[in-house]
This record gives sequence, C-alpha cells and structure tokens, in this order.
Amino acid sequence: MEPPALIEINGLTKTYETRTVVKDVSFRCEPGTVTGFLGPNGAGKSTTLKMLCGLVRPSAGHAQVLGQPYASLANPGLRVGILIDAAAQHAGRRGAEALSIAAQTLRVPRTRVAEMLALVGLDDVAGRRRIGQYSLGMRQRLGIALALLGDPEVLVLDEPANGLDPEGIRWMRELLRGFAGRGGTVLLSSHLLNEVEAVADRLVVIASGEIVATGTSQELRGENVAGSAVKLADGAEQAELLCQELTRSGVVFRSSDDGGLLVEAPAAEVGRAALRAGVAISSLGPVSVGASLEQVFLELTGSSNGKEENR
Amino acid sequence: MSAMGAEAELQARADEIPAAAGIFKLTRIELRKMTDTRSGFWLPIATAAISLLVAILTLTLRHGNFGTYSHVFANSTQPLVFLLPIMGVLLVCSEWSQHTTLITFVLTPRRWRVIAAKALACVFVSIAALVFCLIVTFVLTPIISKAPGGTGSLPLAMVGQGWVALCTRMLIGFAFGTAILASSPAVVVYLLLPTVWAALLAAIPGLDPIARWISTDQTLEPLLQHTLSATEWVHFATTVGLWVLVPLLIGAWRIRESDL
Repeated sequence: MEPPALIEINGLTKTYETRTVVKDVSFRCEPGTVTGFLGPNGAGKSTTLKMLCGLVRPSAGHAQVLGQPYASLANPGLRVGILIDAAAQHAGRRGAEALSIAAQTLRVPRTRVAEMLALVGLDDVAGRRRIGQYSLGMRQRLGIALALLGDPEVLVLDEPANGLDPEGIRWMRELLRGFAGRGGTVLLSSHLLNEVEAVADRLVVIASGEIVATGTSQELRGENVAGSAVKLADGAEQAELLCQELTRSGVVFRSSDDGGLLVEAPAAEVGRAALRAGVAISSLGPVSVGASLEQVFLELTGSSNGKEENR
Repeated sequence: MSAMGAEAELQARADEIPAAAGIFKLTRIELRKMTDTRSGFWLPIATAAISLLVAILTLTLRHGNFGTYSHVFANSTQPLVFLLPIMGVLLVCSEWSQHTTLITFVLTPRRWRVIAAKALACVFVSIAALVFCLIVTFVLTPIISKAPGGTGSLPLAMVGQGWVALCTRMLIGFAFGTAILASSPAVVVYLLLPTVWAALLAAIPGLDPIARWISTDQTLEPLLQHTLSATEWVHFATTVGLWVLVPLLIGAWRIRESDL
C-alpha cells in the first residue's frame, strides 16, 4: 500500500460558462519532495491551485491536502502555507501589520512575525513600510513569510519567483530545498522552466488546462526528446531519401531550425538508416540536454509566442 | 514507513494544532483591519471630528431649545448616521478591491464566519460611536449651552434608540457592501436608493402607506426624535428586514458561492 500523498489532486475540472480552463487534472505530491507545476501563462495553474485551497469551486473532481479537503482542516494556515498572489495585499497596510493580522488569525505567537520577516530578508524598516511601496520582489518575500508563518508541513506557492532577482531566486531555491529536506512538501508553479527545474524533484506540465507530462526532468527528456540531431552533407534530395527511410522504420522526426533533422532515436539507429538510404551525413549527435528540455516544454505546452498571443 | 504509520502521524500532528480563531477573535481582527490601513485610520478620525464640529456648531450657532442634552445628542449622531454606513460598505468591499480576500479566506475557509465577524464588528463600531456621541454631549452641553429652558435631560430610551439607529445604519451599509462587493457602486446605490424612492413617492400617489413601512427616512429618523410606539417598532423591524437582511442574505450567498 502506498503512503498517503500530502497533496492529492483528482480529476479537477473548472468550467466558466462555456470555457473549460482546467480539464481533468490529477497528480500527487509526496512528503519531502518539491513538485514544479509548470505551464505557460493562462494554462490553468492558478485556477488549479485555487481549487486546491478552496478559493475556487471545482466543476468536477476533488483535491485533498493532508488527507482532507483544505477547507475542512481545523486551522489550515498552521498545516498548509499558501501564497496565491503576492500582489493581493492591501496597499495601505504595513508589511509587519499584514503578518500580525495573520498571526492573530492563526493564533501563533507575535514573535513569529519578526522571525519570519528576518527569514525572508525584510528588515524592520521594510516591515514598517506600507505594502503599496513594496516592489514585486518584496511582496513575494512577504507572501512567503505569510505562508511560513504557521510553520506548516505543506507549502503551495503560485509563481513565487515572479519579480525576484537572480539572487532572490537562488535564495528561494535554497529555502524550498531546505523545507523539503526537513520532510516538508512543496508544490510551486511557474511559467519559467529554468526557475523550477533546479529545485523540483518532479515536474507536472500543464497546457491549455490539461496535464501534458509528469515526471522528473530526466524522464521528461527521455520520453519526448528527439534523440539525435542529424545534418546531411548534400541538399534537399538526400534529406528526402533519409526521411523516407526513417518513415519506413517508424521513427518520429521533424526538421530542425538549422536545416537538419531532429530524430527520436539514438544516433546509431539514425546512422544505420542513413546507410540504408545511401545518404552522406555531415554531422550526427545527441541533442544538447539543456536546450532540449526547453524544447520539450515549448513543444508540450505549445507556447510559442505567436500562438500565445492568438489565443 | 507503512501507510498506517504515516496516517497516524498526520493525525497526531493534527491533534496538537491549536483550534482556529473563534468568532470574537475574528471580530477583533476585523476591527483591527478596519483601522490599520492609511484610509482606515483617517476615516474614523475624520468622522469623529465632523461629529464633534456639528455638536459645537449646534450649541453655539443655534438658539432656542437646541442646547438641550437631547438635541445635542441627536445632532452629534447625524454625521455618524451618514458616515458609518460608508465604513460598513468599506469593511467588506475593501477586501475585494484590494484582493485581500485571497488571504482572508485561505486563513478562514469557512467564509460565513468572516461575514459574521464583520457584522459583529459593525455592532462594536456602532457602540463605540454611541459612546463618542455621549461623551461629546455630556462634556460640551454644560460648557457651551445657551438654552433658555436649561439643558434638560437625556432619557435612557433615547440613548438606546440612538444606538439602534447608528447600528442599523451601519448594518445597512454593510449589507449593501456585501451584496454588491464593490465600494463605489455600493456607496452610490446606498445613497441613491432613498432619493429614487422619494422621487417615486412624489410621482406615484398611493405609495404613502407602503412608505411608512419601508422608507428609511420615515422609519429610522424617529429613533432620534421620540420614543417609538409599538407600531413604529414594527415599521422599523420591516425596514431592517428589507434593507439589512435581504441584501445580507444575497451577499452571504454570493460570497459563499463566488470563485476568488
């Protein structure tokens, strides 16, 4: 029997009037892990996370945290730290005051407020300033302080790296790794692959409201990446011959930007196909790793810029 | 770790968690949230200052019987009757305009508890407003009053009715805010409806009997003028039902159902 997942999302669906923004989304987050919830803007990440913490009603499906629906946890802020929208703070309220109110609601000691401000790198002066004067990065830090206030076991963070500078992103990465290292469970969303890849144990990729891939970054690369990039010595005619041969052997491929082919097969297999087709190869090798996960992501989510704008 | 073990551990952790804040704690938090922002800090101060000013003007400028405790008290409540409903509107709507609902309802997912706490906060603010009016009345009247017939007395019944008037006004604003969930439209509707209603009254003959039951200026104004008769209390109750309970129920349902 599997241990209970700390976050369990099961068939979540959200339909507004005629528009389905989240469609049958399911995944689990295990204790001691960081799960990256990855997808382009408007893919349904926020709506999914809002359904998880009871802010949005699912049209179908259900979500549980710590074995219960979030809203039925006794004092949920002490068990699950949530940051949904860092900008959603009263502009006329002071940073420390916003934390104090939450501390009262959660019934944690006042001293937690100063501790959390220090932890996220906001000093006394910043704490006394009104949130309207905060940069987005400072609001993110305040939001993370708010999420950590109740010393929770689970963290759910929506786009926490938005507005953070590179130093801030590294700080947050270490914070989340430390949190998971102590047995905590983290679910964080992002629209930027490299933000998440470095910190997440597992990736859940969502596009247009549907989960398109789940797994470690290695698994995602292995499953979807064209294994080899190949270039031919001579022109288009030769390429056509190789394409025919590859099609015959049932290998998936497509043309790459530089005029070659990206083939979902190991280099040796491509070499043999070229031999059978009788074409000369000028270069053949595995696709470089970093770029290819980016490609996988873009391909999975279909988020080339033009497409995004046309939606 | 077996599944049973993990579940038991989760349960153990759940058992040692302090319970969520109770309704009175939430009310205290709502009162704090009303005053800890820049606008929230100045609005009550401005309201109090205007109320004080009106009391002083009544005492110094008007002659005749206006210097009695009863009149000064009734006059000092007037600015509050106008401004408390606006505070009531903002108590709900500022959460929507500033998007703090995300935090409020994440920390307290049972949304009706937040609405109840806010309604209770209105009651407490109206009590504070009453105390303020009483202090103004009893400090200023003996000092400045020029009433020829003496300062008279302030019957307890009138103090009670004064509080009922303040509390009802604030709750009407709160109820409108809850139903509409946007400050400006809620304030406009709150201010405009009586005018529209008055215009209808003037235009359509035969509405008068209904007006006695539901016109706020006919059912709430007497609270500050004389001790209400039983019939007038019934009229008052009808008004409260229409202007407080109906919008509040609509609003509570909206908030419960809404996606944030």
